Amino acid sequence: MTSGADAVLAGVAVTNFWLLGASRLGHSIRVTAAQGILLGFLPLLAAGADGGALSLRVLALVAASVLLKGLLFPRLLFRGIREASIRREIEPYVGFTTSLVLGLVLLAVSLGIGTRLPLPHRPVSTLAVPIALFTMLSGLFLIVSRRKALTQVLGYLVLEDGIYAFGVLAVGEIPLLVEFGVLLDAFVAVFAMGIAIHRIHREFDHIDADRLKVLRG
Amino acid sequence: MDAGTWLWAILLLPAPAAGLAALLRSPAAVLRAACAGVLATAAVAWVASARVLSAGALRAGGGWLSLDALSAFHLSVLTLIYALSSLFALVYFGEEIRAGTLRLRAARRFAALWLGSLAAMSLVLVSENLGLMWVGIEATTISTAFLICVHPEARSLEATWKYLLICSVGVAFAFMGTLLLAASTERVPLGGGGTLGWGRLLESAASLDPGTVKAGFLFLLVGYGTKVGLAPLHGWLPDAHSQAPAPVSAIFSGFMLNTALYCILRTLPIAEAATGRVGWASDLLLGFGGLSVVVAAAFIVTQHDLKRLLAYHSVEHLGIIALGAGLGRAGVFAALLHTLNHALCKALGFFCAGRLGQLYGTHDMRQIAGSLRGAPAWGGGLLASFLALIGAAPFAIFLSELLILRAAIERGSVLAALAFLAGAGIVFAGALRHAIAMAWGDLPAGARREAPSPLSAALVLGPLAALLLLGIWVPGPLREALESAADLVEAPR
Repeated sequence: MTSGADAVLAGVAVTNFWLLGASRLGHSIRVTAAQGILLGFLPLLAAGADGGALSLRVLALVAASVLLKGLLFPRLLFRGIREASIRREIEPYVGFTTSLVLGLVLLAVSLGIGTRLPLPHRPVSTLAVPIALFTMLSGLFLIVSRRKALTQVLGYLVLEDGIYAFGVLAVGEIPLLVEFGVLLDAFVAVFAMGIAIHRIHREFDHIDADRLKVLRG
Repeated sequence: MDAGTWLWAILLLPAPAAGLAALLRSPAAVLRAACAGVLATAAVAWVASARVLSAGALRAGGGWLSLDALSAFHLSVLTLIYALSSLFALVYFGEEIRAGTLRLRAARRFAALWLGSLAAMSLVLVSENLGLMWVGIEATTISTAFLICVHPEARSLEATWKYLLICSVGVAFAFMGTLLLAASTERVPLGGGGTLGWGRLLESAASLDPGTVKAGFLFLLVGYGTKVGLAPLHGWLPDAHSQAPAPVSAIFSGFMLNTALYCILRTLPIAEAATGRVGWASDLLLGFGGLSVVVAAAFIVTQHDLKRLLAYHSVEHLGIIALGAGLGRAGVFAALLHTLNHALCKALGFFCAGRLGQLYGTHDMRQIAGSLRGAPAWGGGLLASFLALIGAAPFAIFLSELLILRAAIERGSVLAALAFLAGAGIVFAGALRHAIAMAWGDLPAGARREAPSPLSAALVLGPLAALLLLGIWVPGPLREALESAADLVEAPR
């Protein structure tokens, strides 16, 4: 099953590059959803590789994360676009080509760190730690380099995806509470950010995070 | 009553109060219900903490919840500050209710979030599991974010957004750290009860994987450190503190930051024991603390907004607490004493700043003058809290800062002592200038006067008396509580 996990991880890496180069908001939302669905199936592959039977718990985790990331989040985000009648372009601080080049640098850094990180538990796939790190770094980069509040939420989701991948593949046994905790965390945070965006839009008539700069010093 | 029942009561008591508040029909009654809920929770928390002091740690919930000396100390300070701030909220929002700016809906939302935040912070303190603790911090972040924008307007929404985004990323980092700590237990036969119970982690710390623990502690320090407001991760803090209503600012500064620092204090002994007690984790904390003191000092000198000034004081003092916590047993003791002193002092500061802001119609310090004559209670309280904050004797902060400095010198941490002295010196001069200008001088034309009422006098004199008393004498039971709490962070050799 290792090759299955490798394929999924390679797919995740591709979605990261896709997001770094994406210029349309709706497109980014769909790619993020695809990334979430890909990662959603990871627990199945991880459980298979460990030779364990597919427990109800793993199936519940898969169902919850696919529903949340593949269906609910995109819906919420698209509704956000419609309600706030946002311009559909991404408007980055850092251009798309530069973003892609930086993405390559981030990938190289992640491979460098990820293969050296001394983990006691042998990960399911050798790609697991590097790709998880790459996804986290891409998320952070998207948060700081994109102008709209909504794209910052997408960046946050990508960051969470990276942590989720790490948790599922590189950590042996973690309590159920914690596994669901990270999903709950993503859900609650996105929900809260949605409310905040809604209010900001009602008050300002725009949701450009770069224009939120009255408070300084 | 069964020991465990106390812990459940602390977590669950805010819920019926919030339910009651949602049913009441006037904003003033809603606020009184919230206040009653907080006072009831605080009473239970104090009784439980007293039991911990006399009879040892309490446990409940199948080992997931516990209250020991360290968490009991933090819980008593949390509920004390919450009780004071709830009483102050009656004064502060009372003015808004009279002016018609706080309507029923907003008051109900405030009450629900206020009580929810109390439960979330209590959860952080009573959980015996790093995962559950993290859930508590996450819940705290979400519920307090919307307390900043009780009045949704441009600036408060901007502050809410920054707080929500920056702290969510911080919390995500903390989760990564928690995962890494879980990964480090791979070779330890822990069995049931969850691999993330910190009691178990500490017991078996010697057999944890040191490299993974180091990576995990780094992530936890950066993640929770964002929420503590340690420089350079403090970006959200001045905005949130200055835009939130004053009672909320008092809770933010008085204790929410310490809740996150508590999580770092919990993982510190695990990281130290797993890396061979060479001071690796303590030194990191020392570095962040020292940097925070110096950075905060620079911003304090150039500040014109009263509440932002107090916010940067929080960065400074949380930096001092982190510094103390990295200085070994004596330093941890002093840091815990400083936690109490700072919480009292900062709550007092924000009470006075908030009320003066309402009376003068501005938080710009250049337009506030003659506050001692215009509003003797709040003006006097502000002056006194400034004197205490900058470390003037005989206030308690002077004592705890002196103890931290002594710990630094005894341990030979020259750099820490220098950073501390430089920061404290700059802050002393910078803040004193503002304090004097606001207290004396001519009252501006637009400012309203206010004669002290019994409640406002009590809210100012209570914390002030405590700060003066603690400055000359630390009562026996408190000393005992601090000693046993400090033992949990840094065991005596």
